[in-house]
Amino acid sequence: MSAATTTAYRPLNPRRILVLARHTFTQLVRMKVFYFLAVFAVVVIGANFLELPTDHLPENAGTEILYTVKNTSLGCMSIFSLVLAIVATGLLLPKDVEDRTLYTILAKPVPRLDYLIGKWLGVVALIFVSLMAMTLLMNLVLIPHTSKVMQLQIGAAEFAGANAETKAKIAEDVRALGPTWNLQAAVLVTFMRAMVLAAVALLLSTFSTSTLFTAIVGFLVLFIGFFQADAREIYFGQDSGLAGKAASGIMTVILPDLQIYNLIDAIVEGKVLKALDLLKVTGITAFYCVTYLFASWLVFARKEF
Amino acid sequence: MEPAVEIQNLTKVFRPQMGGRPVKAVDKVSITIAPGEVYGLIGPNGSGKSTTMKALLGLVAPSSGTCRIFGADSLAVDSRQDVGFLPENPYFYKHLTGAETLAFYGKLCGLRGRALKDRTTELLELVGLTDARDRHLGGYSKGMLQRIGLAQALIQEPRLAILDEPTAGVDPIGSRQIRDLILSLKERGITVFLCSHLLEQVQEVCDRVGIIFRGRMIREGRLDDLLAIEDQTEIILRDAPPDLLEEIAALVAARQGAELIRSGRPRTTLERLFLRETVERENP
Repeated sequence: MSAATTTAYRPLNPRRILVLARHTFTQLVRMKVFYFLAVFAVVVIGANFLELPTDHLPENAGTEILYTVKNTSLGCMSIFSLVLAIVATGLLLPKDVEDRTLYTILAKPVPRLDYLIGKWLGVVALIFVSLMAMTLLMNLVLIPHTSKVMQLQIGAAEFAGANAETKAKIAEDVRALGPTWNLQAAVLVTFMRAMVLAAVALLLSTFSTSTLFTAIVGFLVLFIGFFQADAREIYFGQDSGLAGKAASGIMTVILPDLQIYNLIDAIVEGKVLKALDLLKVTGITAFYCVTYLFASWLVFARKEF
Repeated sequence: MEPAVEIQNLTKVFRPQMGGRPVKAVDKVSITIAPGEVYGLIGPNGSGKSTTMKALLGLVAPSSGTCRIFGADSLAVDSRQDVGFLPENPYFYKHLTGAETLAFYGKLCGLRGRALKDRTTELLELVGLTDARDRHLGGYSKGMLQRIGLAQALIQEPRLAILDEPTAGVDPIGSRQIRDLILSLKERGITVFLCSHLLEQVQEVCDRVGIIFRGRMIREGRLDDLLAIEDQTEIILRDAPPDLLEEIAALVAARQGAELIRSGRPRTTLERLFLRETVERENP
């Protein structure tokens, strides 16, 4: 066997992983997962007609619709991405085992690590494409509303005799509530959270034999993830010593701390996301994904079929 | 010459996860298959046939013993470049068409572009699915699924094809087509390792067979040697009149030590009768 051929069978072959990822993506698309996008479109368009109770100070005139559209859109994106990450990932492995398609794949020169990464990337790609489509729709709805609110507020300011500086400040404040780069970053953070959950579901599905088990435990991990930082604070507070800190660290690795992704809420409120915070979230996401994929491989490499 | 398959003292013990008694599925089985040979492993359900095949494919790890494919350890990924596998009752991805299925498996083996397209077309033709190349596998019959399964097993031009019950659940016509495909693989010099419940089919295609029972290899050898009855001779006559048969019987009776055990009309098999009345009637 030539050296080039031998190299091709080493794990982490990008071409092979891409073939598996594309196949997984196609498989999920043909399972009509994108129907959810139609539901999303209806919800976002429907949000145009909702009015959240807000104070009616002149400086806030019209802004409630911007909050409504952003809240509804990002809420839908969160639900869709998390459900898809857990259920779709949890479905793929048991289905391949049940249909014996896994035998035919692993009987080819495909390292098990490549198979796992391919499956995970396929789900992640589907979530990415879906979120992009949802983001586009959200922005298309937000853009006209933002300019309408701006016109309304600047008109009111002119009526009150405001100077140019005040009007510029109003324009800047309204723009911050519209389709900013900050808002796109919130979608990115939503995507990163789904990547972590997909990796968790992949790990669960390597030792579970049913999609139901993976889904239930996956949602349990999600639920715990939202509260685990508070739980750590209660059990291993600041005075817990070295053992407490180690236990807290282990807990953070075993169960992902999803509170780090809560900055999505702050962004919806119009707060600016610092580059350092985004970098930190990206780093933690990468750490979680690599850790869970590695753990998946450790289990899957020894699995017998 | 390096054997295509070399299984030495393979033992596989399954230990139930929730406790309970370990199950010895395969017990010190040794098989050697020469390149180009068609080997049939037969045995009742649960006798260890599939486990032996899975061990050869690295899908289960041997508890002891070794499995080698053309000299390479079967647990190594490299060894699978030379192997095509058709599992028992495969489903494949229903959302893919026949051509997409072959392209998917081909790409996993590193095939690309023109070479992949040509190979896909060639294999679809070989298994008689050219007309169904763009149909989703969800609409394939059982026999068609087995044939597309055989095609995917051969996509990377392996030197060894491992077929687990290739005709399970297939009607006699489909079964005959698969038998013909196995014979065409043999003509191409591809080593075939198959297990089947259809003993007549095994008898028709295999050079050598092994009989496995309760995890142990109880008999193995060349088919002709295993089936020949040493102390009997068969004479088949066409259009023999009754007086000739009487003469033969008298001749035998006159000879000391020889005995005429049976004479009468030889019977065809039910399969041959079925094929003659269906396929051969359509295509005389």
